[in-house]
Amino acid sequence: MQQTQTRSVYNAAVFRQVIEKILLYVVLCLVAVVTIFPFVWVFFTSLKGPNDPIVSVPPQLIPQDPTLANYVRVWNQLPVWRFYLNSVIVTLSVVVLNTLFTALAAYPLAKMKFRGRDAIFYLLLATYIVPPVLTSIPSFVLAVNVFRYYDKLPAVIFPYLAGVLNIFLLRQAFKSVPDDLLDAGRMDGASELRIWWNILMPIIRPTLATVAIITFVEQWNNFFWPSLMLHTRENMTLQVGLVALQGAFANDARGIAAGVVMTVIPIIIFFSALQQQFVRGLTGAVKG
Amino acid sequence: MTKKLSLTPYLFLIPALLVIAVFVLYPIVAVVYYSFTDYSISTPPEWVGLKNYQQLMKDPIFWQALSHSLIYLIVTPTLIFLSILLAIVVNRKLPGIHAFRALFFIPAISGSIAVGIAWRLMLDTNGIINGTLLSLGILKEPIQWLAEPAYTLPIAMMLTTWLGVGYYMMVFLAGLQNIPEELYDAALIDGCNVWQKHRHVSIPGLRPQITFVAVISSLAALQVFNEIFTLTGGLGGILNSGVTIVFYLWRQAFRLNHAGFASAIAMVLLVITLAFSIMNIRILERGTEAD
Repeated sequence: MQQTQTRSVYNAAVFRQVIEKILLYVVLCLVAVVTIFPFVWVFFTSLKGPNDPIVSVPPQLIPQDPTLANYVRVWNQLPVWRFYLNSVIVTLSVVVLNTLFTALAAYPLAKMKFRGRDAIFYLLLATYIVPPVLTSIPSFVLAVNVFRYYDKLPAVIFPYLAGVLNIFLLRQAFKSVPDDLLDAGRMDGASELRIWWNILMPIIRPTLATVAIITFVEQWNNFFWPSLMLHTRENMTLQVGLVALQGAFANDARGIAAGVVMTVIPIIIFFSALQQQFVRGLTGAVKG
Repeated sequence: MTKKLSLTPYLFLIPALLVIAVFVLYPIVAVVYYSFTDYSISTPPEWVGLKNYQQLMKDPIFWQALSHSLIYLIVTPTLIFLSILLAIVVNRKLPGIHAFRALFFIPAISGSIAVGIAWRLMLDTNGIINGTLLSLGILKEPIQWLAEPAYTLPIAMMLTTWLGVGYYMMVFLAGLQNIPEELYDAALIDGCNVWQKHRHVSIPGLRPQITFVAVISSLAALQVFNEIFTLTGGLGGILNSGVTIVFYLWRQAFRLNHAGFASAIAMVLLVITLAFSIMNIRILERGTEAD
């Protein structure tokens, strides 16, 4: 009697656990469908041939007559390879130079005592909350009248060569390095630049990766400022080019879908390859 | 020797400070000045005093844009709620959970322009969403999702939520994993059920992340542009139904060439952003004092 009772209690517990797990998976799958469906749909639409309807009730998801013609059409009508090239040039230049410049700036803010340090730090802190749109009007005037790089790639590189958030993250990382290491370097007669490059930079590599990834995703997807600056198709980045494509293929959902896929694919591949680093990098800013 | 040492920190700072001075500090000063001028970028600015601000106060579209931006802030509590819920689910040790986590993160990296354009295609009157709802019998007539003024803002807000939820989920997940297991054990011993457990252990433990997400997502909501731009094809929606403060600034400055007037809008945006940041920091401080 006693035994059967324990058994049934045990069975009920197992049963509850199984039900709970099933429910969890149902929730997970629902969210997964909502998350992934637009990508799947846009991918299938981009492969649809002329006989596959975009509009139908009930809707048709998978193409019966798959073709790469939409990609070829888009590729031939727009300088897509230039969009890619420009995006790569802009993103890489910004990631490398921004990381370098902000790492340089973060070192004295973390490890040196000098006149004006706190003032500079609080000034930077204050600029962090300034909305980027706010600066777009004067920056536009500068681009046209002073730097004369309107409609050229440097226009979308130079303004991003330093970022306040990156300075904070790197300053935090430098601060956690023990002073003894720096003093040892100084005893050996190393210059501050050597200490920074040879001792500190290797230690804070995880934070450098965080900064590089945040900057990479931001730049690859940057739209507002590039759309103000880049007007000749040959000079456009992917995001700006995609909007131009949307205009040029206004009544061609298959073509637009192909453009969307071409824009999204590189970053998704990159993300799949470096998942852990991406997630750690992009959420790493929280601890900041 | 001392002289050399005292110059070194400034040398390290110069490249970054130069960039920030030219592209952030100077523009802030300039935009204040422009807001008091009649300016169209091609002609030199002309001092007009408070004219732009007076015009702004009388401009019904400005007030509409401002109210839209404030309504948009609803995405912040929505995002916090949904992403904590999702973080709790993906925090379970289940087979395949890592794949789900990675999958949910994809919208965060794929960029709002490409995704916004995809959603625009799906929401077309003849698009897949209407097609599905019609064939399931949920709708009798297709809905003009993007041509109905009442839907513009909610759809944009849904897109913002969809784009952000996976990212914020990861932020909360990292927070949950920092909560010591013993606290949950203690809650279990105290006889807490699942809801009480999360209410009394998870939520207080996530306070730093909640503050972070509240600040970041509300600042992003006040500055929303890409979602509105893609969903309305750069037009701002029928009857300005999707025009937010940043969208209005963009239109005035770069479509209508009213840089002076747009600078006055920028000043309003700055004041709201500052007020919001101060409020957020106050709440944060109160939160940590309570601990």
